[in-house]
Amino acid sequence: MFGLGRAKPTSAEKIAAIENELKVVAEMHSRMIKVCTSKCIDKAYREGELNKGEGVCLDRCSAKFFEAHQTISEQLQKEGAARGFGGPSM
Amino acid sequence: MDGLTPAENRELETRLQKRQVKEFMAVFGNLVDNCFQSCVDDFTSKALSGRESGCISRCVTKSMATQTRLGERFAELNAAMSAEMANR
Repeated sequence: MFGLGRAKPTSAEKIAAIENELKVVAEMHSRMIKVCTSKCIDKAYREGELNKGEGVCLDRCSAKFFEAHQTISEQLQKEGAARGFGGPSM
Repeated sequence: MDGLTPAENRELETRLQKRQVKEFMAVFGNLVDNCFQSCVDDFTSKALSGRESGCISRCVTKSMATQTRLGERFAELNAAMSAEMANR
């Protein structure tokens, strides 16, 4: 088909794309939990509930995690471009 | 992205369910590793001591509370990030 742009994605491609996007999000979620647990939760497990300090720490940790993710993503793209790397936008 | 047909939706559903089972197993695995690592350090016996069992129990409860809280924060932050990227 001359002159046409990209062919329409197949069923399999559409489904895979959605699944992949969810996978990326789920992985970020899982990493955030690991990292913020390690930074905020006292490993002595003296109580079964989150105390106030831990709760607040988790809230702030997750916000910082997202900000770090974006900052790193932007810097990586800038520096990567300067060095000639391509790469998908995150 | 174009919408999905009902058949495509069903296929996606199936895939996502499989993925959810996998993720649950991963969460479970991490929980065991984490609580064991934090709570168990006395190998003078092959049975968990009372102290270790208590610690494990508190660890599980606390870990679930942590997941819930972080899940809420994540949803908010992810939504905000998506909205911000859409507006760029």
